[in-house]
Amino acid sequence: MSLDAWVDWAQSIQDTPFGTALAESPVAFPVIEGLHLIGLSISVGLLFLVDLRLLGWLLVDVPATRVLRALRPWSLAGFALVFVTGGLLFWAEAATLVASPAFPFKLLFIALAGANAAYFEVVIARRPSLELGGVAPPRAARAAGAASLLLWSAVIVCGRLIPYVTHW
Amino acid sequence: MTSIADVLSDIEHLSLSQALAKSDHLVGAGLQVLHIAGFVMLLAGVLFISLRLLGWVLPEQPLPLLSRSILRLVSAGLVLALASGIGMFIASPQLYFYKPVFQFKLVLFVAAVAVHLLLLRRVARQPAPRPVLARASVALSLLAWFGIGMAGRMIGFV
Repeated sequence: MSLDAWVDWAQSIQDTPFGTALAESPVAFPVIEGLHLIGLSISVGLLFLVDLRLLGWLLVDVPATRVLRALRPWSLAGFALVFVTGGLLFWAEAATLVASPAFPFKLLFIALAGANAAYFEVVIARRPSLELGGVAPPRAARAAGAASLLLWSAVIVCGRLIPYVTHW
Repeated sequence: MTSIADVLSDIEHLSLSQALAKSDHLVGAGLQVLHIAGFVMLLAGVLFISLRLLGWVLPEQPLPLLSRSILRLVSAGLVLALASGIGMFIASPQLYFYKPVFQFKLVLFVAAVAVHLLLLRRVARQPAPRPVLARASVALSLLAWFGIGMAGRMIGFV
């Protein structure tokens, strides 16, 4: 599928009555943008605390798995807000987003960050050594924390670049 | 008497302001990324302390022990957000200053910093703060920071 076909498809989504209404609303659109930012701060922000704990940079007196379990539901609630508002923003400006190279890169980094988190939850976090408080987690956990920090930072950078890098 | 317009004009003509205003758009985007990064750091820290003050996360962990490293993260985020925000402002002070939503954000920011320094930070260092005080600090703090996030995102739309 060529880029033009993608743009046509995105344009048809943006041109639906709901997409047009969102894009043209002087209140709804900025409010959704604001909620997207607040959702980001909750989801990625709390996840960063877990990452920094895995790296041994903060909350070192608390076992890493305690921090992870305590913050996970709150972080996931933040992600729900980010994804819902992100979906609405896409609906309102799909053609602009699809045309910007920063957007597919943002999606790519989200996918990589998600894969990293899934690998961490399913494989690494099951290791008993993570329970130790005050002890630096094993190398694999530190690497997962560092990867998460870098990948989500890349997501934020790409997101902010969307209005600045408008075409290939 | 010096008017606000004079002050804004003086700020605009600083050599740093001129350099920022004439720089590539990507420099501005970089400042915005740092501004968001600082906000994410500080809000995550405030949120974590809030959840603990309400007893919703890690209630068995001593509060001062949790707060120590988190408060440092909040301070770092605050410095980063403020520094990058000043950078964006001085590049086009006339553009920002007269927007009501920007002035609202500034007032809210001063209030949020006051609540943080005078209330939340002190309460978070106590082993067992009074629940009423803890809840009031959390409510004021989160209301102010969420409001700042919303107002900040709106600046570009009005």
